[in-house]
Amino acid sequence: MSEEFNWLDYVEHEESAPEPERRSRLRRLLSRRPRLPGRPRFGLPRMARRFRLPALAFLRRRRSDSAPEQSSATNLLDQRAERPLEDLDERLQFLRERSTLAPQPSADAQQALYEVDDVLVTPEIAQKPGGVISAGALSKAQRQQVELLRDIVGGATQAEAPDGRRFLPGLALFSLSAAPRMIAAAALLAMVSLPFVSSDFALGALPPAAFPEERPGPAAVFNALDNVTADDYVLVALEYGPAAAGELDPLADLVLRQVVARRAIPLIVSSNPIAIARGQNIIRGINRSVAGSGASLQHGFDYYILRFLPGGALGIRELNENFADVVKVSAKGILTRLQLNSLDQVSKIALLSDSAETVRNWAEQIVAASENTPLLAFTSFSAAPLAQVYADASDEILGLVFGYRDAYTYGEELQASFGGAQPAREPPETAPASRQASADAARASQANQPQEARAMGERQPPAAEPAPTETPLPSATPPPTATPAPASTALPTATDLPAATATLETLRIVEVVSPRQVRIRRGPTTADDILRLAQAGDTFEVIGANGDGSWRQIALANGLEGWIAAFLVDEGTMTRAAFEAGRASASASSPTERVVLERGFLPSLGKNGPRFYQANAPIPGDLHEFVLMRDRSQEAPRLEAMTLGALAAVLLIVVGNVLSAFGALRGRAGPNDGRGSFDD
Amino acid sequence: MRRVGGGLSGFVAFAVGVVTLLSLLLGDNPALFGDQPGSEELARRLALPGAVLLRLVAIVVALSIVIGVANLLYVHVGRAARGKFFSAVVLASFAFTIYWYLSKRGDTSLLEAAQVPIESALAALLFLSLTLGGARILRRRADIWGLLFVVVAVIALLGSIPLAELAPVKALSDWLLAIPVSAGARAILLGIALGAVVAGVRALLGQDRAFRG
Repeated sequence: MSEEFNWLDYVEHEESAPEPERRSRLRRLLSRRPRLPGRPRFGLPRMARRFRLPALAFLRRRRSDSAPEQSSATNLLDQRAERPLEDLDERLQFLRERSTLAPQPSADAQQALYEVDDVLVTPEIAQKPGGVISAGALSKAQRQQVELLRDIVGGATQAEAPDGRRFLPGLALFSLSAAPRMIAAAALLAMVSLPFVSSDFALGALPPAAFPEERPGPAAVFNALDNVTADDYVLVALEYGPAAAGELDPLADLVLRQVVARRAIPLIVSSNPIAIARGQNIIRGINRSVAGSGASLQHGFDYYILRFLPGGALGIRELNENFADVVKVSAKGILTRLQLNSLDQVSKIALLSDSAETVRNWAEQIVAASENTPLLAFTSFSAAPLAQVYADASDEILGLVFGYRDAYTYGEELQASFGGAQPAREPPETAPASRQASADAARASQANQPQEARAMGERQPPAAEPAPTETPLPSATPPPTATPAPASTALPTATDLPAATATLETLRIVEVVSPRQVRIRRGPTTADDILRLAQAGDTFEVIGANGDGSWRQIALANGLEGWIAAFLVDEGTMTRAAFEAGRASASASSPTERVVLERGFLPSLGKNGPRFYQANAPIPGDLHEFVLMRDRSQEAPRLEAMTLGALAAVLLIVVGNVLSAFGALRGRAGPNDGRGSFDD
Repeated sequence: MRRVGGGLSGFVAFAVGVVTLLSLLLGDNPALFGDQPGSEELARRLALPGAVLLRLVAIVVALSIVIGVANLLYVHVGRAARGKFFSAVVLASFAFTIYWYLSKRGDTSLLEAAQVPIESALAALLFLSLTLGGARILRRRADIWGLLFVVVAVIALLGSIPLAELAPVKALSDWLLAIPVSAGARAILLGIALGAVVAGVRALLGQDRAFRG
């Protein structure tokens, strides 16, 4: 602990001995401690004092009974505050004694420290109103500190010199000198808000739809992520806080959509605990955007959010050295069952960062040690200059995408890559059927296009659709029948009867009527594991019921059997032909039947029972809806707001400094008029 | 006794630092031991102490977060007991956030609805502050550096405006970012690296003895 004593924090000891009268004045002065710099100038502190809570005496006693040597911040502050006057620094004691011996200052000594004016000269704190720029040389806190020091060494309390600034003492926010700043702030706010009100205020061109050739880095980044194939693992490092969310969330959203649309699996990781929660929210936003298509990303199958990496650079190093351990546990403490042993098994690493220091950490701890896995850097605009240095110097860093304008171009390229060319200003489509039709048309057009040689690094269509992989099943549960991946038109037949007979057969069916997702379970209780989720309108063949009729046993499309609560469905009959036709339609519009992970809460750490079951194997092919159904309605207004904001900032800077120069020429407000500059 | 304890902690810090350095140096470079059989196994064993120590650091840092939260609560409980309004607000917010998280099974809508907008707004205030600061820079600092600040800021801002009429300014802005800014960035990185080496050596040699308290 420092031996220096801080006058501003000084409070005399409550139980000090009776002091001579000369100390009372000092105590009175010290009780008026100045505000610390940075505190708000209005409102809340006074309100807080007004609503001061009653002191809880029993807690105070408890605190005082605690060991005084305990090294808590509170105790240290208390010990410092309760030091007696004799513990003051010798120099301060001398000043205090001197103040008591000094005569009262005369009236003409208002602007100088009494008897020490050769040492300390207080700057003039008067302020001239008018002009765009106010000329306050000292902040309020600084003035209070000067006044306090003046009181200590000079004795008498001086009334604050009238400076003509305030209408009323409590209305500093609305003072005359603050008016130009308020006007400037209002102008800036208005300029950046106008594009969100009307498209008439659009100024300038939108960013290009493709990265220019003179910047090969971003194009390489895009192509690298566009070339991931099904079941590739992509490590997505979200290394930014909420302050950078406005700039980097769009990039994170695009990266995750691109990865899952190519059926790769993102592993979200971060050394920032808040960023982990941000990743969860971004995934939720993606799910909301594709809710109309029936698709949904499921943790433990489509993506993983891994545990927090503590220790900054050391945590990142641990990710590299103990990758198998890190990927074993999710952010919620649930075992992930990922069988990955090293970073080399990861296809790509996408780093989204708001600071150059984090890029440095990843470049030093990950890139240098993992030569086979390229790193794709996405940063904020402010972090780009330092991050670009690493991107240029390292072959393993493929490129750097930064800022919101690059995010727009990235989104355009992604949209084009999946066959969509949605105008930026149009609101997103709302009809799921039309969305699906668009996605199907895009998929068809992509399938029909000639396999011309594309530029190096661009996505090549796979020679054959990858075979669906089976989820490893726990030995404690009977393994369900693994169903081969159905083609988009071929449906699994549920019976061996001749086709003509089968189509005339009448089935008992249930249709989900609950507006929310319904869980289909392995048994007729809510304690049974979840096999899959169902949406409103989904139909299933009924094959049984439980004893009290509260659950229906249904046949799933992959040959499994499940149970669904009776109150969530309507029952009826249907011919098998009509039922299968409806299922074919539903299957085409809902290509992502998923294995569902039943997520326990915190106590589930280490108690992960066998909760994975295989439902339908995914239909091969890209998931276009994850790209084509994103909301793009705010992209153009945001870019136009950035343009108008930059223009307004230029105007303010130029006008403010020109006015200052004119003021200096006229001798009214010279640049160095004695009221202090940074050099003073 | 204190002198002995300080010496012991200094020795431990020095020993741990040297072991970690040697482990990282030798363990990451099996080529140092030649092509003889078993050299890779030897390198792997030498790398183990450093890896263990570094992993311990990560664990200690994780624990320090818990200790930090506990200390924060302790401090604010004391302050709230003395009637400090905002400390009571901190405690109430802490309790409410925990309750919300538990009752909503991990729902993070508070983060989305409160923390992200507030921190984003604070970041946006930086733009406002820098603009107002730039508008008054020549009044506060009327010298060549103030003028340089204004000129560079105006060029960079104009370069970010996507108007065809400002294409020459954009070229100048790009040049500023590519050459002077990049050079400065590299210089900063060199300074950081040199500073890290110097700070590490001083800590290992005991000249910066923060570990002694």
